[in-house]
Amino acid sequence: MAEAAVAAGGRGARAGRPLLPAVAWRNLWRNGRRTWLTAGGIAFTVFLIVFSMSFQRGAYVQMIDNATALLSGHLQIQNRHYVEDKRVEQTVADVSRLVNRLEGQPGVESVAPRVEAFALVSAGERAFGAQVLGVDPERERRTVRFFDRVAEGRMIEGMTDAVVGEVLASNLGIGVGGEIVLLGTGKEGGVAALALDVVGVFRTGIPDLDRAMVAAPLAMVRDAFGLGDEAHTLVVRSAEVTESARLERQLDDWLPAPLIARNWDEVMPDIRQGIEIDRIGGYFVYGLIAIVVIFSVVNSFIMTVFERTREFGMLRAIGMRPGRIVLMVQIEAAFVWVLGAAIGLALALPIVLWLQVYGFYLGDEVASMVESMYVPARLHTRMTPVALGLAPAVMLVGTQIAALIPSLKIRRLQPVTALRAEE
Amino acid sequence: MVLPLKLLFQLSVRNIFRHKRRNGMLLAAIVVAVGAVVCTSSLIRGFQYDMADAAVANLTGHVKILAPGYLDDPNIGKSFELAETWRPDVADEELAGWAARVRVPAVIMSERGTRGVQFVGIDPAQEHISFIGSVAVEGEHLADASDGRILVGRALAEQLETGAGRRLVIITQGHDGLNRESGFRIAGLYDAEGTGLEKMFVFTGVDTLQKMVGADVYTEISIRLRRDPVLFQLKASLVEFFTGLDVLNWQELEPQAAAMFVFADSAFFIWYFIMMGALVFGLVNTLVTSVMERVRELGMLRALGMRSRGVVAQVVLESSVLMLIGVAIGIATGWLAVLSMGDGIDLTQWAEGIEAFGMRGKLVPVPLADDIVLIGLMSVVLGVVASLYPALRIVRIKPLEALRR
Repeated sequence: MAEAAVAAGGRGARAGRPLLPAVAWRNLWRNGRRTWLTAGGIAFTVFLIVFSMSFQRGAYVQMIDNATALLSGHLQIQNRHYVEDKRVEQTVADVSRLVNRLEGQPGVESVAPRVEAFALVSAGERAFGAQVLGVDPERERRTVRFFDRVAEGRMIEGMTDAVVGEVLASNLGIGVGGEIVLLGTGKEGGVAALALDVVGVFRTGIPDLDRAMVAAPLAMVRDAFGLGDEAHTLVVRSAEVTESARLERQLDDWLPAPLIARNWDEVMPDIRQGIEIDRIGGYFVYGLIAIVVIFSVVNSFIMTVFERTREFGMLRAIGMRPGRIVLMVQIEAAFVWVLGAAIGLALALPIVLWLQVYGFYLGDEVASMVESMYVPARLHTRMTPVALGLAPAVMLVGTQIAALIPSLKIRRLQPVTALRAEE
Repeated sequence: MVLPLKLLFQLSVRNIFRHKRRNGMLLAAIVVAVGAVVCTSSLIRGFQYDMADAAVANLTGHVKILAPGYLDDPNIGKSFELAETWRPDVADEELAGWAARVRVPAVIMSERGTRGVQFVGIDPAQEHISFIGSVAVEGEHLADASDGRILVGRALAEQLETGAGRRLVIITQGHDGLNRESGFRIAGLYDAEGTGLEKMFVFTGVDTLQKMVGADVYTEISIRLRRDPVLFQLKASLVEFFTGLDVLNWQELEPQAAAMFVFADSAFFIWYFIMMGALVFGLVNTLVTSVMERVRELGMLRALGMRSRGVVAQVVLESSVLMLIGVAIGIATGWLAVLSMGDGIDLTQWAEGIEAFGMRGKLVPVPLADDIVLIGLMSVVLGVVASLYPALRIVRIKPLEALRR
């Protein structure tokens, strides 16, 4: 067998091909079943990890997109003191000028100023506490998708219009056409009162919003709470959510003293943490799968090297340096990896790309389970260089180490004893 | 020639020891796979039980009795009267406890701020079944059902800039439909590990709240059991007793948690089969090699009269023995990993992120004997199935052919 391999290598060399890779390639097919099983393990790992990582990446992107697009925007600009302690007097001053200047900043798509206050919302005899947002509907529409969630009725248009959360509306026993009264504490400590007509009811799937939020025109809320050209939050949309961290730094340098820019991951730490912990959990699982498969690759090479003790002894006897033999085994491992990774990717890519375009439906149960984390019911995978490359890279390193473990023995091989080894 | 089992067993074990390095490596793969499954499955169980426990402890209980329509429109109008002498019709050893409460939406105000909350009247003696019975309290806990003070969550107190001993004003709707306003002194601040519960619930004595709303009624009875199985039987007896009221179990009250509970069950199996899928390539690979290099030896045995069945038995036994050893060490390793986690993995760093999944700050592994036995059994079955392919391959080679190799 060994002679055949060497002869074959010789022919390969004459045909102008490098000798070692040609021999290594032929060696693989001396035990095709083993090669396929080893490559199968690698393919299984690559397929599984590429698929799940694209799946995770897709979910993250959509989570972040949904969460930022719903209400809180890519970035928020607030008074530093308001971040620490949400008091009605800790505002951003001179809002109209600031908004105009902000929109001139590179990377800023649109800005929406908001007044935020807490008030007692009552309808007839019933009263509930809720967050009141004073909004500029025109600007909000360009910045977030919140008003798409108005399930019943319409958006705010007139000065006395208000939209309320679905659960709050039902708790108050009102619907579109109802009247509500807001009572709160104004900037100077006086009573802030506001009577509004409910023109719409929104449903976001986020319990806090549906249960306890009212949106009304910015001017009306400012008036009621004794605020001038002020706001608590300027919501900023950047061209891409992936750009927002860079934009945050840029704006932070640019903004005057008490104002700071906060990226979405500071505004919604739960989303960032949810993603982080899912990512850590994912790597843990992938690591375990890769370890189990790499063990079996080691095993496969232990068997290969063991069976070929005599052959290697002879190669040594006819003058091949041990380094060359080790190199040959490493090349064999590389070929097995190429096969496995290629099969794994060939299986994963069509599925991942298909799902990236068409997505797949999670099912009602799972969808309701993850709704509050902003995960959409129809998930699209997302192919990224990391998702695509990580598993093959890890398996390449793994197979190379796996092959090296038994082949180190070759260096210590005594040609004479090796030739006497049982076949 | 029919070989006795003992001899077959001996042959298998010796064959395993013929190749220590190779089988050692295979064993290592089995140990990692089984150990990882044991360890992670107990984490999955830990998550599952913690979540269900949190859902049940979150004033839900296993079964809850409510006035019809209360869930859609929670107000004191949706309430019911309860006889002083009523007890749930459950044997004492099955019943963890029960509590009758008044729970109404309210607005709470300090001189610094206003918030919307759920105002809950409780009998502290009954609340060992819910989270409020076991939380740490800064200041004092409520003394009894007629305590006129309130217990406020730490996070809410921070928002309202208030503390134990201070006064707050609470507004809620009375039984007659008119709003009532009343001042309360804070007995203490409770610490629910930073969860949203702290901002959601304010507690007082149930008698106090009944006086405030002006009616001797309850809005809910919550019942907690020691184990789930009596649930359905209990629910049936309650439905009969409380005609006209809604009797709901925790899965109906917390559908999100219930869905997650079911999902965790399948996560366990998905994870197991992925891990074993990764293992099976290496397992078959090793078995095929070990059988094929013994073609001559097995051919000789068959030429001497050993039946094909014996050959198959020998290979299957060899694989099973390997698997058994691997499973035993794997379970021990997984168990050690579980022990090394001690009283859980600290996840408070991600507290806000995991709350959406109904989890609390700590992930405590819960190794279940049933799961571990199942993992062991399924793995040995897998070992048998994986060995069938090489075993059947070898008996297809005729003894004469085998001897010539």
